[in-house]
Amino acid sequence: MAWRFLLAILLGGLCYLDRTAACQLMLHRPLVVATLMGAVFGNMAAGAQVGVVLELIYLARLPVGASIPPDDTGAAVFGGSAAAIASSSIGLDAGNFTALLLLSVVVAEAGKAADRFVRKVNGRIARLTAESVDRGDMQAVEHGLLAGLTLFAVTGMVLALAFSGVGVAVSKELLPRFGPASRGNFAILLPALPLLGAASVYSCSRTERTAAVFFLTMAAVFGSTVLFRWSA
Amino acid sequence: MTMPALATRSRSAVWRRQFLLQGCWNYEGMQNVGFAYAILPALRDFYANRPEEALKAVKRHLEFFNTQPAMGALILGASVRLEERVAAGEADPRAIGTFKVGLMGSLGAIGDSFFWGALRPMASVAGALLALLHPLLGIAALLFLYNGVHLTLRRRGFAAGMEGPEGAVGWLKRAALNVRTEDRKLLAAILAGAYAGVFAGRFLVQGGGVPHALGSLLLAAAAVHLFAVLFRKAVSPSEILSFLLFVGVLILWR
Repeated sequence: MAWRFLLAILLGGLCYLDRTAACQLMLHRPLVVATLMGAVFGNMAAGAQVGVVLELIYLARLPVGASIPPDDTGAAVFGGSAAAIASSSIGLDAGNFTALLLLSVVVAEAGKAADRFVRKVNGRIARLTAESVDRGDMQAVEHGLLAGLTLFAVTGMVLALAFSGVGVAVSKELLPRFGPASRGNFAILLPALPLLGAASVYSCSRTERTAAVFFLTMAAVFGSTVLFRWSA
Repeated sequence: MTMPALATRSRSAVWRRQFLLQGCWNYEGMQNVGFAYAILPALRDFYANRPEEALKAVKRHLEFFNTQPAMGALILGASVRLEERVAAGEADPRAIGTFKVGLMGSLGAIGDSFFWGALRPMASVAGALLALLHPLLGIAALLFLYNGVHLTLRRRGFAAGMEGPEGAVGWLKRAALNVRTEDRKLLAAILAGAYAGVFAGRFLVQGGGVPHALGSLLLAAAAVHLFAVLFRKAVSPSEILSFLLFVGVLILWR
């Protein structure tokens, strides 16, 4: 298990860097992160299932100006690792799946708080950089940026370790405490989660024709899906 | 004074460094350290034998700066060209600050709307749908759809900026990002409708006839509408998820 956590730290750190500090190539998206974490902890498909739902849920919160959206990368680290572990122990049924998706909100908010902390510390780094430049040290700019990047990377690795650890613990310790019937009751809430994701995209894609095209497509695909299931 | 030359190596370094624009993102100066870091190779070329002026130039770029990171490439390229003119004595140093401040807000708004409000949701929902077939297919679609446009706009924006502020403004007009934003938002809405349809069909219809299926569709559409209304009223996804978690705990308690 130790090498799995080591890999989770490295990959998680890389994804967290992509989130704010470097490149923004979308390597930090929940679909990517949860699939990676699923693969690291033994079941890529289980991680991807979580990623598919988490991918859209937080899209409605845009990283505009100084506002920091919830940490969906952290939610995916938690969800992907927990789903992979659950699938190989108690099974990833609809109840467990729903519970993991809902519990990920706690992780997303904790990650957001950590992000705020990093940006505050970066403020101190930026001030020190400006003071050094005032004293005639031009290289301070490079040192300042390196310090900021390192802080983002280290925080990302710590969060990746913490969230994957919590994910493993939840799947191994918390979920088995509830019987299959209790977990099954939890599954009542499952349909709300992908619909929440779809609403997230719908609300940030507002044009004059959005409502019409969204609901027409939804009805057409719903009809096709139901007909396909009935004919199968 | 003759125009100081920008070495090809320095231009490449500035291009690469733009990817770290947010490397030291902070609440006071936001992307200021990242911007100064990115433009530094060019400043070293322009003020090679004038350390005092080089320091003044670095300080100019440590002022507050914030824009959408991909759109920062355009401002960065144009700032390099302006610094070149300042170093040659052809322009007032204050023109750089005025140019950056003038453009960062509007480009930030255009970029936020295009990248965060249209391109990313479109790529995300396409990726999520294709991931239902195979996870790696979904990831490939997400990364390709987003980065194909993202990296092209960064490259073209930087090149246009390097033609000078006039080139930057001309490119912005030609790029017609407002039209592209509209198109991608519409595509995102279509794909999100398909996503909602697939999941509603899978989870809500567990048997029964046509009336049951129709009822499920209406219920799903009403749920999407309700969530969208809540988002418009500034309720965050976390608050909705927390409420659902609370309901889930109540169910377990029962």
